[in-house]
Amino acid sequence: MEQFISPIVLYMVCVLGAAGLALALPRRGPNLVPLGAVFLAGAAGLAVVSMASRVGGFTLSAGGPGLFFYLFAAIGLGASVRVITHPRPVYSALYFILTIIASCGLYLLMGAEFMAFALIIIYAGAILITYLFVIMLATQAPTGTQRDLTDDTDAVAREPVVGAIIGFVLMGMISTLLFDGVGSLQTPERFDPDAVLADLPRKADRVLREADLIEPYEQVLRIEPGRAALDTEARTIVIYNERSDSTRTLGPDRWPDDLRATNLDRLGWNLLNDHPMTIEIAGVILLMAMLGATVLARRHIEFEEELKAEKARHLSPRTGRVGNTGGAS
Amino acid sequence: MNEAAVVAQSAAPYLLSDGVLAHYLFVSAAMFSLGLIGFITRRNLIVMFLCTELMFQAAGIALIAFGRYHLGEDGQSFVIFVLCVAAAEAAMALALVVLLFRRHESLSAEPWKELHG
Repeated sequence: MEQFISPIVLYMVCVLGAAGLALALPRRGPNLVPLGAVFLAGAAGLAVVSMASRVGGFTLSAGGPGLFFYLFAAIGLGASVRVITHPRPVYSALYFILTIIASCGLYLLMGAEFMAFALIIIYAGAILITYLFVIMLATQAPTGTQRDLTDDTDAVAREPVVGAIIGFVLMGMISTLLFDGVGSLQTPERFDPDAVLADLPRKADRVLREADLIEPYEQVLRIEPGRAALDTEARTIVIYNERSDSTRTLGPDRWPDDLRATNLDRLGWNLLNDHPMTIEIAGVILLMAMLGATVLARRHIEFEEELKAEKARHLSPRTGRVGNTGGAS
Repeated sequence: MNEAAVVAQSAAPYLLSDGVLAHYLFVSAAMFSLGLIGFITRRNLIVMFLCTELMFQAAGIALIAFGRYHLGEDGQSFVIFVLCVAAAEAAMALALVVLLFRRHESLSAEPWKELHG
């Protein structure tokens, strides 16, 4: 743990953060949010200075996470603090969108482009808008004489001190365990970002065809169905000629620049090849959620018995007696 | 074997250092704790559910950081499933909130404390 942050500094960060958050949580009386913000900024500054000095400053070249990491992390954590301290739920939801956008920045820094943009579309675009709708639906219209728009539910936090202490004790514990464990992780010694290309022969076909490297009657040789004769380490491709039933090899000097596995290729392959069952389960979960939401949110409308009988008679295919339909129910 | 092939074999240029991984994990831990604090202290049902989403988000950052560290895509795949669960949770939670709001005409969690035990 000492190689990332000294334990004393970590505990000081937790104490400062807990004090700042306990002050910043909504309450009646004097507005202590600026004071809480000063405490929280102090905690963040202490953490940044302590951690950055151990990895060699703010620049990427020195092996640190880079300036953009600190920028996005600061925006994300600051907005998270605002999510839980703002007394008005609509602003909480809007700050949560800011948190999501900042974490998308972190995803981009880690090379997860697809997830970053999917997160913006799904989370910020769909889920949070649903939240905003419900907030608008479920808020009572203020009466004319009421000056303060927020009621006690939003304006007074429940047990802010205890909550902040619990949260920051948890944070200290999680960070300690994570920092202790990071040193013992194994990293792969070999890595080929294009390795998945051998499993995507049609992509190789398309790229080669666009680059005019193969004739219309040629294609990449398949060793077996869905597996291309394509060596990403030696960068050679074996081309199969359908007309003459012969093969030729494309050398590393003619490997097209476009022929590389993107983040989306690798993620899609991983998702469909390694976790096909999980996709099914995710589909079932989403279906269940849809059904559950429909059942939960429907409104019960009481019909009188006579009206029910009349409707049943109306819907019945036979124009039978009322007793037939009424008896079944 | 040319220069490019040698680079492709070694994982070194792609690796994330331990220190950088620790930075991302610290952000994730801090965001998770903030979500927990919000869930404990806020009394508005919608803000409480927003805080659970905050915790999902923190888990997503940790998953992607670990995935990047191990140079695999499993972390990103898991984030897709986290997203699915978050969407399902949002649908259910908001339906529940609408239901509870109809009962008490308020978004406060306080009237529901009789549910304990």
